[in-house]
Amino acid sequence: MAKGGGKTVSSEKIVEVTNVKMAYRRTRHRVSSLKQTAIETIKRRMEYEQFFALNGVSFDIARGETVSIIGRNGAGKSTLLKVVARVLPPTSGRVIVRGKVAPMIELGAGFNPELTGAENIMLYGALLGRSVQQMKSRIEAIGEWAGLTAHLDVPIRAYSSGMVARLAFATATDETPDLLLIDEILSVGDEDFREKSAARTFEMMNSGCAVLLVSHDLEAVKSLSTRAIYLENGAPKVFGSPDEVVQVYLADVHH
Amino acid sequence: MQVYDSSVRQTPVISQLKAIYESRGLLRLLVARDLTVRYKRSVIGIWWSLLNPLFTTAVMFYVFNTVFKSRLPSGQAFLPYLLSGVLLMTLFNQGLTMGADSVASGAGVLTKVYVRPEIFALSSTISSAINFFIGLIPLTAVLLISGQTPTMKFPLVIVVVGCMTLFATGFALLLSIAYINFDDSRSLITIFLMALQYMTPVFYPISVLGPHTKRVILLNPLTSYLQVFRDVFGGNAVATFHEWLMMGGSAIALFLIGFIVFMRQWPKVVAKL
Repeated sequence: MAKGGGKTVSSEKIVEVTNVKMAYRRTRHRVSSLKQTAIETIKRRMEYEQFFALNGVSFDIARGETVSIIGRNGAGKSTLLKVVARVLPPTSGRVIVRGKVAPMIELGAGFNPELTGAENIMLYGALLGRSVQQMKSRIEAIGEWAGLTAHLDVPIRAYSSGMVARLAFATATDETPDLLLIDEILSVGDEDFREKSAARTFEMMNSGCAVLLVSHDLEAVKSLSTRAIYLENGAPKVFGSPDEVVQVYLADVHH
Repeated sequence: MQVYDSSVRQTPVISQLKAIYESRGLLRLLVARDLTVRYKRSVIGIWWSLLNPLFTTAVMFYVFNTVFKSRLPSGQAFLPYLLSGVLLMTLFNQGLTMGADSVASGAGVLTKVYVRPEIFALSSTISSAINFFIGLIPLTAVLLISGQTPTMKFPLVIVVVGCMTLFATGFALLLSIAYINFDDSRSLITIFLMALQYMTPVFYPISVLGPHTKRVILLNPLTSYLQVFRDVFGGNAVATFHEWLMMGGSAIALFLIGFIVFMRQWPKVVAKL
C-alpha cells in the first residue's frame, strides 16, 4: 500500500520551492531597545551577523501528496511554513504555490472574546481569505458541526476553551484548500470531538489537496506522509521516504 | 486559480493599494469588530468612549476659560473651539496608537496567514473616525449653547476626517514598525505625542502666541487640520487656502511614506513577531 493512506498523487505541482534561503541580519548582543541601539551605535559596537534561518531548501508537493518536515527546535520549520504561506518573502530562491492556501493556525488566534460565535466565524473566515458572502452562508453549518448552534449569539468570552477550539477548528476546516499547512496535528476538545476533528483532518489530507505538515509526532509523520524532510540548521539534511528520514533523525537525536 | 510566485516581487505601490482595496470585505469586518468591542453593544458604551474627550474639555474649559475667551476674535467661542480641538486630537491619538497596536499585536494571525497587515492599521483609524463622528453630536450641542449655528460648510468635515484618517494611518504604520523593533518605543512615543499635543493649538488661541512661536506652531501639520475643522464646523477659526493645502498635502505625503516604508520593512520585522 502506498504511503499516506493510499492517496492518489497527481503530477500537478501545488508547491515548488527552489533553493530558498532566508537570511536575517541580527545584532550580536540582541539589542531590542532604542536606548541600547543609540548607546551601541555611539560606541560603535553594533555588530551584525548574517544568520540563515533557511539555507538552500528545495522540494515540491504534488496534489494529493503530504510532505512532512521534522527537525529540532530552531531548525527552521516554522520559517519554512511562513515562507510557503507567503507571509515571509524568501531572501533568495523561489516559491511557487498554485491555488488556495489554508493554514491550520493556532486555534483561535484570530478570535476576539467580545464578539459572538457567529461574528468570530465571519472574521476568522475573512482572515483566511474567504469572501464575506461565502462565510455568511456557512455560519450555521459551521456552528452545527462544532456543536455550538445554541451558543452562536453569545460572546465567546463565555465559552470554555474547548468550545473556542471547536469553533476555530470547524471554521478553519470548512473549506478544503489546494494546500493545507499544518503545524502539529491538532487534537481538540473532548474525546468525541477529538475523534471527529482527527477524522476531518485525515479526510482533508486525503481529499486531493497537498499538505505540508510540521510535526514532532514521528509516528504521525511516518503514517501520514508520502515524503519527509529533515531540516537541520535551516538546510535539508535528508529528504526522502518518511521511514528513512525519521530513522536518520532519531539516530541524530539519540546520539 | 491564484498563483503565488515569490520571484515576482516589489510590485509598485499602486498594485499594493489595489490589493488592500480588494480586501475591503475583511476591512469592513475588522472595523465592525473594533466598534463592537469598543461600544460593547450598548448606548452607554458609545457615551463611555466620549467620556475622555468630554471630561478633558470640561477641565480645560474650567482652567483656561477666563484667560483665553477674550483672546478669540469676536464671533468665536472658546468652548466649541476647545471641544473641536480635543475631539480631532482624540481621533489622531486613538487612531495612531490603536492602529500601531493592532499591527504589532496581530502576530498570531499575521505570521501565519497571508493578510495585508495595513488592513489592521486602517481598520483602527477608520473606527476611530466613526467614533469621531459620534463626537459631533455633543459638539453641535456645545455650538448651540454658545449661541452659534453650524455653518453651511459643515459637510466638508468629511474631507477633514478623510485626511486625518490617511495621516494617522501612515503614522500608525511607521509606529508599528518601531513597536516591533524596539521595546522602549512605546514610552518614547508617549513623550513625543505629549509634545505634539502642546505644539498644536488645542486649548489656546493662536493669537496668544509670540511671533516666533506662532511661526513654529503653524508649521505643525496638525494645526492645519484643527483650523480647517473649526472653520467648517461652527466658524471658530479662519482657514485659508494655505491650511487646506497643508492638510491635504500632509495627509497624502504621510500616508504614502508610511505605506512605502511599511511595505519595505514588514518582511524584515515579521520574523521578529
